[in-house]
Amino acid sequence: MKRLLTTLRHTYIGKKAQILGWGLGLALYGLLIVPMYDTFVAQGEQFQQMISSYPPEFLAFFGATVNSMLTPAGFLGMYAFSMLPIIIGIFSVIAGSALILDDEERGRLDLIIAHPIGRSSFFFGRTLGILATTLTIHILGWLGFSMLLGGSSLAVSWGQMAVPFLSLLVQTLFYIALSLMLSMLMPSRNLAAVVSGAIMVTSYFVSSLASINDSMGALAKLMPYHYFQTVLSFQELNLGWVAALLGISAIMIVIGWLRFIRRDIRLRGEGSWRLSFLSKRRKTI
Amino acid sequence: MRSTNYNKPSQELAIKIRGLTKSYGKVRALRGIDLDVGRGEIFGFLGPNGAGKTTTIRCLLDIIRPDGGKSSLLGIDPQADPVSIQALTGYLPGEMQFYDNLTVERQLRFFSDMRNLRTEWGYVRQLAERLDLDMKPQIKNLSKGNKQKIGVIQALMHRPELLLLDEPTSGLDPLMQQEVVSLLRDANTTGATIFFSSHIMSEVENIAKRVGIIRKGEIVEVAETSILTKRTLNRLTIRFKQAVEVRELGNLPEVEILSQIDGNSINLQVSGDMENLIHALGRLPVLDLVSERPSLEEVFMTYYKNKE
Repeated sequence: MKRLLTTLRHTYIGKKAQILGWGLGLALYGLLIVPMYDTFVAQGEQFQQMISSYPPEFLAFFGATVNSMLTPAGFLGMYAFSMLPIIIGIFSVIAGSALILDDEERGRLDLIIAHPIGRSSFFFGRTLGILATTLTIHILGWLGFSMLLGGSSLAVSWGQMAVPFLSLLVQTLFYIALSLMLSMLMPSRNLAAVVSGAIMVTSYFVSSLASINDSMGALAKLMPYHYFQTVLSFQELNLGWVAALLGISAIMIVIGWLRFIRRDIRLRGEGSWRLSFLSKRRKTI
Repeated sequence: MRSTNYNKPSQELAIKIRGLTKSYGKVRALRGIDLDVGRGEIFGFLGPNGAGKTTTIRCLLDIIRPDGGKSSLLGIDPQADPVSIQALTGYLPGEMQFYDNLTVERQLRFFSDMRNLRTEWGYVRQLAERLDLDMKPQIKNLSKGNKQKIGVIQALMHRPELLLLDEPTSGLDPLMQQEVVSLLRDANTTGATIFFSSHIMSEVENIAKRVGIIRKGEIVEVAETSILTKRTLNRLTIRFKQAVEVRELGNLPEVEILSQIDGNSINLQVSGDMENLIHALGRLPVLDLVSERPSLEEVFMTYYKNKE
């Protein structure tokens, strides 16, 4: 346990730049978007006219309607939370695929893993470290979105604001787990990041397009973004969806762990974009 | 050709390897290695690049998994209990990378944390001082040689029972190479077993009591260093002050005249010690003498030629 905690601590400390960059960036976005609602409401008629001129498909893509845009949930859903899973998703894909492979592909893991840590403690220490990092980023984002709520006509409490952030956190964890698992199964970090990113973007577009085209509804149900919830109350939150996404994430992490404890640790330059069965791997013998 | 030393009781062995095999796809990196290294021994693991030295060391530390065979370090199976092995071992990889943004001291503290140890920082500073390494600069500003020094310190700083070192003097200048050798001797004096790989014959001769030679994934020889040294080839270019009769040099045992450049210069090859040659040269008007060690590959080829 001590070995796991040591790795966790070092992982968390090593991510301080990401915590500050992504967390403060998210918070700043919240500090800008929340006061915008008052302007939005004050000029409600003009906005409503402008929004009415938009094609309904455009609004539906972002999960909004003309009437919902002036409600707190509709406003936040459209202007804040519709894009956040993609923005934070970039962090997830990079962080998950790099969690272990960054050190391995740069040639550092060989020496680190020769220390008496144990592969499982190392893997879970790193995984918990990135989970703690992600949680901190989301807390900073939530604080940024909540700090100006008191002076805003949004009429949303700090607790209500936490609900979409909880759903966002689950989405982030899902993509971290996905890219971590793929990084253990694929020949290089880049490939794992590209595939994870492609799944994330596809998920976003398929789920959004399903709001316009009903025939895509069945396909959308297979996409993680479909289960992202921007509701503002815990009562409305579908906990089954939250649990399912967390469960799948846990399974992907376990698959990554099983692969990591069984495989050889590579030296620098041994990973590649190419699939291993198509390429001659460079090995230091 | 393979000579082994299986007669040592296992409790006296620091390293015991039997039939170790490892392949990378179609490349057979290790083809059934057998090797014993006694406790407290300094053992040189010699072989040309690509012979399987790094693969052997990485298998022993459970960094990579062998396809077959068995090994034990200090009586522990690395596959069954890698953490115990790693706790007792100091490892210096052949290719090392660190966190560039950390200072030397922070990087060493990181390694110390990874061992969950209370490191004796007085000892670490002493090691750094002996290697002339400043602990304050960031690693990104260090030369390859200085990075190698960090590697040496992290391998030694917890006073391990067993040191597995992959080309420990790589990238160091001759003075620092001597200092590293001296540090290894000190560690050995306090009881540490040292297993180090190299492709430089003279380096191994300088420190190891016994040597194992690996070539194309097979151990081709395990011998006392002194025996190996006797077989060592030296190539000499000798210039004389005036033209001399050199035929008698060619008649000396273990001496072969390769070429006579002009009346005043000759190229010789000597296998083993040079005592007879030096005596003979003492009677001749020698202007200068240049000695050159052949490459490891040439030494191997000479072995094979002699064996055939």
